[in-house]
Amino acid sequence: MLKLSPTAQKSANLVYHFAQRETKSRFKRSLLGWFWSFANPLTTVAVYSFVFGVVYRASPPATENGNAENFGFFLFSGLITWNLFTGIVNGCMGWLQSISDLRKKVYFPTETALLGGAASNALQTGLEALVLVVIMAVLSNLSWTVVFLLVALVFTIAFGLGIGFVAAIMNARYRDIFYLVGVLLNVGFFLVPIVYQVSMVPEQKWGLPIRALVEWNPPALFVGIARDGVYFLQVPTLGHLVAASAWAGLTLTIGWRYFRARSMEISEES
Amino acid sequence: MTIGQITVQDVSKRFRLERNRPSSLKEALLRTGRRDIDDFWVLRNVDFEIEPGAFFGLIGHNGSGKSTLLRLIANIHRPTSGQITTEGRMSALLELGSGFHPDLTGRENVYLNGAMLGLSRRHMNETMDKIIDFSGIGDFIDEPVKIYSSGMYVRLGFAVSVNVDPEILLVDEVIAVGDEAFQRRCMDHMNQLREKGCTIVLVSHNAGLMEELCDTIAWLDHGRVLELGEAAPVLEKYLEHMRGGGTTLTTRD
Repeated sequence: MLKLSPTAQKSANLVYHFAQRETKSRFKRSLLGWFWSFANPLTTVAVYSFVFGVVYRASPPATENGNAENFGFFLFSGLITWNLFTGIVNGCMGWLQSISDLRKKVYFPTETALLGGAASNALQTGLEALVLVVIMAVLSNLSWTVVFLLVALVFTIAFGLGIGFVAAIMNARYRDIFYLVGVLLNVGFFLVPIVYQVSMVPEQKWGLPIRALVEWNPPALFVGIARDGVYFLQVPTLGHLVAASAWAGLTLTIGWRYFRARSMEISEES
Repeated sequence: MTIGQITVQDVSKRFRLERNRPSSLKEALLRTGRRDIDDFWVLRNVDFEIEPGAFFGLIGHNGSGKSTLLRLIANIHRPTSGQITTEGRMSALLELGSGFHPDLTGRENVYLNGAMLGLSRRHMNETMDKIIDFSGIGDFIDEPVKIYSSGMYVRLGFAVSVNVDPEILLVDEVIAVGDEAFQRRCMDHMNQLREKGCTIVLVSHNAGLMEELCDTIAWLDHGRVLELGEAAPVLEKYLEHMRGGGTTLTTRD
């Protein structure tokens, strides 16, 4: 059993508490509970499969043994990562806001609410990933490379928290950050190769190295690594892995520092 | 430092009052004129020490900074300059519904408060009955606290604060809300805690209550410590000052 310092133990308790609360409150008053957490990604997959697979007749990218070639699975493998990212970034702003009144009356480390919320999101994503892995196993399109799905999700959590920490603090002062982030994430969904593949992007356009931009931006790297691991059953390239871990580590460090420097001011925001 | 000790070293606290503070990004970016910033010093160079096991009172007129000082000790705000150190598990009861999340039930809030104080769930399970009993909340414990009356809020808050074995207890006048019987129980309980060696800091402008409970009192006036010492003489000077038309009411605008 891991032995923690009293302060760390206290924080761990709070993180657990907030994670539990987030998980409970998300489905508290809904009859079908966890079903709703799957309904959203499933309908997205269904709609995009219809538009691209049926209307545009796009053929899904080839998999290792050709068993799982389905536009839906291709999408789902990318969407899991992306949804985790947006869930954490949007969540951070909401979680901080929901505890700001409390924080004006009692001291506790504010980051525990964000970490707890992120843990709850990670749990839900874990379940979605499990569903995908089970489907892949049934279609015998599974290999040890599935660990890269896990790696990608860990990177995504770190990166999402880094961005979320900054966004949450800024949103405490300027409430329109929430809307701004919403717009940026909407744009991001299409700039990240989720419904398409990097190889389909032209190398150059308007004098910009479009393909490189799409390939090397952080969420795209995470999506790519996840997809390599669970759909294509390949080992991601070293370059992608190094770039992804650098993005994740750097963003988390900067976001964390920024948050720690400003989080005491939360109790003084009106 | 020993458990229960509080040191306030040359603490000052400034609140920035920004007139026309930009409330949206657009305003912040498009602003061309200068920002109106008023500095308001709530506390200036406050410096004292509270010994472990002391029953310490903070008295002063409205706006003297006593509640802000209590919040700084509770680590809710950070001092602008100076330093505050506390040693030991600290429980604070600062205002109505202190530390309660309105959407959670009373029971969930008790667990949340316990977690904030660093107490394990097991410990809270053991204390839960005592807390419910002390508060007299009864079946309402499983209702969201937003439906509680102000009296219930305070009763539950106080029940939690004193039943989690604090080593430092900070109280801000809230006990005035409960009925006579509850107030009596609060005072009994605070005395019991003191006997156990708990350091208690009480903020109030009720001189009678202060005299009954406190052994040391600091009198704050416009953010400075005017008098500090044994309860009776300080209170006497304070009351004399108040009687002498010294109603130095200030507003924070």
